[in-house]
Amino acid sequence: MGQLRMDNVQKRFGDTEVIKGVSLDIANGEFVVFVGPSGCGKSTLLRMIAGLEEISEGEILIDGTVVNDLAPVKRGISMVFQSYALYPHMSVYENIAFPLRVERLAQPEVDKRVKRASDILKLHERLTHKPGQLSGGQRQRVAIGRAIVREPEVFLFDEPLSNLDAALRAEMRVELSKLHRELEATMIYVTHDQVEAMTMADRIVVLDAGFVSQVGSPLELYHRPQNTFVAGFIGNPKMNFLPATCTESDETGATVQLSNGASIRVPVAARPGLEGQALTLGIRPEHIHVDEGDLVLEFTPTVVERLGIHTVTYSTLPDGNGTFTTVLEGTAPAETGKPLGHGFNAADCHLFDGAGAAFSRTAPMADTPPSVLPTGPDHTQ
Amino acid sequence: MIDKYTWWEKLLIYTGVLVFLTFVLAPFIEAFMVSLRPIDAVFRVPYRFFTEDMSFAAYFTMWENVPKLWRYILNSFFISCCATALALACIIPAAYSFSRFEYRFRNPILGGFLAINMIGAAVLIIPLYKLMLNLGLLNSYASMIIPGAAFTVPTGIFLMRSYLLRIPKELEEAAYVDGAGRIYTLWRVILPVALPGIVVVAITTFITAYAQQFLFALTFNSNSDLHPLPMGLYQFFGRQRIVWNELMAASLVGILPVLLVYVFLQRYIVAGLTAGAVKE
Repeated sequence: MGQLRMDNVQKRFGDTEVIKGVSLDIANGEFVVFVGPSGCGKSTLLRMIAGLEEISEGEILIDGTVVNDLAPVKRGISMVFQSYALYPHMSVYENIAFPLRVERLAQPEVDKRVKRASDILKLHERLTHKPGQLSGGQRQRVAIGRAIVREPEVFLFDEPLSNLDAALRAEMRVELSKLHRELEATMIYVTHDQVEAMTMADRIVVLDAGFVSQVGSPLELYHRPQNTFVAGFIGNPKMNFLPATCTESDETGATVQLSNGASIRVPVAARPGLEGQALTLGIRPEHIHVDEGDLVLEFTPTVVERLGIHTVTYSTLPDGNGTFTTVLEGTAPAETGKPLGHGFNAADCHLFDGAGAAFSRTAPMADTPPSVLPTGPDHTQ
Repeated sequence: MIDKYTWWEKLLIYTGVLVFLTFVLAPFIEAFMVSLRPIDAVFRVPYRFFTEDMSFAAYFTMWENVPKLWRYILNSFFISCCATALALACIIPAAYSFSRFEYRFRNPILGGFLAINMIGAAVLIIPLYKLMLNLGLLNSYASMIIPGAAFTVPTGIFLMRSYLLRIPKELEEAAYVDGAGRIYTLWRVILPVALPGIVVVAITTFITAYAQQFLFALTFNSNSDLHPLPMGLYQFFGRQRIVWNELMAASLVGILPVLLVYVFLQRYIVAGLTAGAVKE
């Protein structure tokens, strides 16, 4: 079993607090991805689970045992490093067999286990090669082979795909998801690439400067971000934020006025009495339509990128701070320097209070299959 | 890279190289020429580079003139090898510790090692003599090996440490996660990866030990069977005259072991000095 629990885990380097109290439960067999910008502490958190960094405060439990002071191998974890960390002087076979050699397993058993790992990872023909003779993707597979050969309960991946090129990354992503299904093991995966997070994760943990900003399924984070940080981090290009003032609010929605005087009522679980407060209206670039929607704002694109399938436009906001990004249809009539009607629907909008916390959205998400939908506004932790 | 030199720039560069090489190699060439001349012709005036009376005679007569010459060469080789082995046994663990562990006074200790390096062996020769006397090591190989090794350790630690610092920490972390202990990791992972660096350190240590034998042999050893080559060469300095041609011949033969070591290991030196400098 690979059940993992973190209880108010903290990490300090001298006076610098890197992890500021993380509590998290990870179920057996779950694929959990830690994402966040550089320096948010995601790698440190992973290394603390691995046993490579000491835990300053709090407890980490694996299968109910406190592992704070246990060596990595005793925790039942194995780890794949960003740089692969293969032993350059050993053959692929010996690299994969290394943990078994440390355990002093008998040769027949080593053979059997290495063979099984190389079967899963399609590495038989490479077993006699040295890591230097392999391509990036193969090296990464060897690193994964070394991790699975010990049959651990929890796998830790520290940005394993960031050294690969885009095509290979997509391929390895699929392979890792397959591997997760085959091994039925708990996997914790650190990345700064949200595509990896969105495609592979059962649950995503968004970290922001040492805190857990939000935990949830990929679509939950996309549709119901709890704050501006998650809203801006998940989704690419990132969500547009417009300053707004609340003019009227109740439990079913809030009406906000933008700086140009336009008004829109956003269906969120607000509360009465927000009138006059400065709020932030969020709208994803992919929810903008040309000239149609509940509200149409006119901006002038300064850059237009035509990708064939999509047209991406960037407009400078009238007040000068910030960019308004859209992802339009490939044939959209956008032109640099020509004003364009940016329309969007109230149901697609997000609304955040002055501190950046989101009001839960109440709009139904009709086109999404129910199995992947968040169950309700209170589902997130 | 595009070759962007014009012909006269190239000419300038090659002239510079030639001047430099002449400067470095001229003593060796002259030593070789002297070894070929008869002893009476060594100081002939006017100087002539080539003469008809040149021969390899000195290379044969030197073994008769100093009968133990082969033994001195072997001694030199033996002392340097032992000093190198002993020094490496100290350098590798010390450098590993300096490169990987955090502890109090780590940098002052490293600085201390380098400071010791600034004090020449000659300054310490009297205290060392007393030490050897008290330990009863005078007139033994140990009296030449131990100081020889000791004086190469600081530089060795510094070289080795900078090499170890370049080995990614993740290699060790991977081994640690896989359950390997420190010693096992050092032996199975770090040392093989650091081999080019170790060879570089071994060669510099060997050459330094080979070059500095004279002082220790002169002071700590009076047993002529144990003398290294530099002491042996001293025997060509006779009462009336110095047998220059044989001295040069013996010197050149004496360099051979170092040269052999160099030739066989030089590919490691180049690999070691540039490893990690560029992305591979």
